[in-house]
Amino acid sequence: MNDNNKKEFKEIKYLLTSTMRTKLIITLNEKEKNLEILRNELNKPSATILHGLKELENLNLVKKSNKYYYLSSNGYMLAINMIKLIENWYSIDKNVDFWKNHSIDDLPEKSLKNLYLLKNSECIIADTNDLSKPLKIYFKLLERSDNLKIILPIFSEIHLNKIFNLLDKENLEKIQILTSENIFKSIKKSELFEKIEKNKKIKFTTIKKDLNLFITCSNDFITITLFLKDGYYDDSQMILDKTEEGIKWGLEIFREYEKKCEK
Amino acid sequence: MNSSWDNMTYKETYNNLEQVENEIKFLAKSEIRLQILNSLIDSPKSIKEIVNKTKLTYSSVSSNINKLAKKDHIYKVKSKYHISHISNVYFKNLLDFNKLIKIIKNYEKFWNKHQINNFSSESLQSITVLNNAELIESTPIDIYRPHNYMKNLIKDSNEIKAIFPYLHPDYPQMLEYLLEKNAKIEIIIPKSIESPLLENINRKLIKKGIKNKNLKIKTIKEDLNLSLMISNNKMSLGLFKSDKTYDQNRLLISNDKKAIKWALDLFNNFNNNTTTNKKEIL
Repeated sequence: MNDNNKKEFKEIKYLLTSTMRTKLIITLNEKEKNLEILRNELNKPSATILHGLKELENLNLVKKSNKYYYLSSNGYMLAINMIKLIENWYSIDKNVDFWKNHSIDDLPEKSLKNLYLLKNSECIIADTNDLSKPLKIYFKLLERSDNLKIILPIFSEIHLNKIFNLLDKENLEKIQILTSENIFKSIKKSELFEKIEKNKKIKFTTIKKDLNLFITCSNDFITITLFLKDGYYDDSQMILDKTEEGIKWGLEIFREYEKKCEK
Repeated sequence: MNSSWDNMTYKETYNNLEQVENEIKFLAKSEIRLQILNSLIDSPKSIKEIVNKTKLTYSSVSSNINKLAKKDHIYKVKSKYHISHISNVYFKNLLDFNKLIKIIKNYEKFWNKHQINNFSSESLQSITVLNNAELIESTPIDIYRPHNYMKNLIKDSNEIKAIFPYLHPDYPQMLEYLLEKNAKIEIIIPKSIESPLLENINRKLIKKGIKNKNLKIKTIKEDLNLSLMISNNKMSLGLFKSDKTYDQNRLLISNDKKAIKWALDLFNNFNNNTTTNKKEIL
C-alpha cells in the first residue's frame, strides 16, 4: 500500500469506530456538560468517559473550562457533520427496501447526501388485500392540496385525470408539472388535455431527457415513487413525508430540474 | 436559521446511532474495505484491477471483497465487481465526512479558536465545498497580506456582495472607487457602523448609487462575527477569534464555483435578517 492511500481514511477510522467518542461529540453538541451529567447520560464509569474526553481534547475537538466540557469550533463542525452522517444513514435504512429496489439515478447527488431530511417519512406498500393502496393514498392527498409541484415521468390517464380535475376546485392555486418532452407529446395528444389547455392555473415545463422519478410536493406533503431497476415504473411502493424538512427535500429537487429546463 | 435540526436532542441521535452503528463501523473500521469501495466508485473492476489501483495485497483484497459481497455492498457480474447503488450512497456520505475531516485538519489554524456560531447548520454541512480553498496568511514582511488580498478582490470586480463586520479605514475609499465605476454593491453591516461608514463616503456617490440601484446597504442589529466577500469569480471568508477580535492574519479564498455558491447562500441567510433604511441614508 502506498503511503498516500494508507493515510486517506485514517482519521475516519479513528472518529467513527468508538461509540464513546461518537456519543460524547453528539451530546456536547447540545450544550456544555460536566462529568456528572455525562455519566448519567452515558451510563458508563467516569474513567471510561474521562478517557474518551482526553482523546477528544488531544484532537482539539473538546475543551474544558471550570469542570465543564464543550466542543471547540473544530469539534462543532465535526459534530454537525457527524450527526448528518448518522441521520442520513438512518434515513436510508428506515426504508432500505425502497431505496434498494429502485433506480435512484435521477436523484441529484446533493439530495442523496441530504436524505436525513426524509427521516420521518414512511413507505406505503401495496398489500395483497389492496394492490392500489399507495395510489389511493396519493389521490386522497392530492384532493386536499391547493398548490402542487410535480415531476412526472409517466403518461397515465388515471393520474392525469385526477390531477386535471383538481383544477375545478375553487381554492386551487397552482399546479406545476415538469415532464419529459416525450411524455408531454403524449399528454398533448390525449383528449384530457383539451379541457385544461387554456387553464392558467396549470403550467407545464419540459425537459429533453426521459425521467425516472415521480415526485409530488404540496404545502403539506411530498410523495416519491420510482422505477424498478429493470426499468419499469413501480407504483406498489411510495415514500410519503408530511414534515417541513421532507417537503424541503422535494422542492430542492424540483428546483434543480427547473434549472436544467432553463438550459 | 432555526430548523428542527437545531432542536434535535442527543437522545434521538443516540437512538438512530444504535440502529446504524454496526453498519457504519463495518466500513469505517477497515481502511482496506474503504479503499476497495473507493476504487469501485468510478467503474466496476476485477480483483486484479482493484489490487493495481489500491496497491493493497491480493489476499487482503480478496478476503475483504468476500466480506463486502456478503453484506451486499458489492456484487459480481462476469469477473468484475460493482458497488451496489445503495452502498454507493452510503459510501459517498462517508467520503463527504472524510472531506470534512480534511477541511478541519488542513485549515486547522483558520477554524480552531475562532467563532463559527454565526454559520447556519446548512452552511456547516456543506462546508466541504471549500476543500480547494487557499489560506492566505500574513507574513512578517507582509503583515497586511489578507487585507490586501481582499482589497484586490474587490477592486477587480463589477459586482460585489459583502458582509463587513467591522469598519476598516480603507472601506469608505474602496466603496467610493466601486461606486465611481458603477459597480453593483450589496453589503451587510452591523447597525453600529452604518453612520461612521457613510459619513466618510462622498454623499453624491451614495445618492447616485442608491438611485440607480447599484448600492444596497443593509444593516443588522446584532454583531456580526465573520467577514465575507463575493465577487463574480471569487469568494473570501474571514473569522473572529474566540476572544471576539477579528483575525486579521488569516483569510480563506476560493474561486471554485461551488464555494462561491456556498458563500452566496451564507450571504442570503444573513440577508433575510437585515433591514434597509433608504430614507435615513439619503
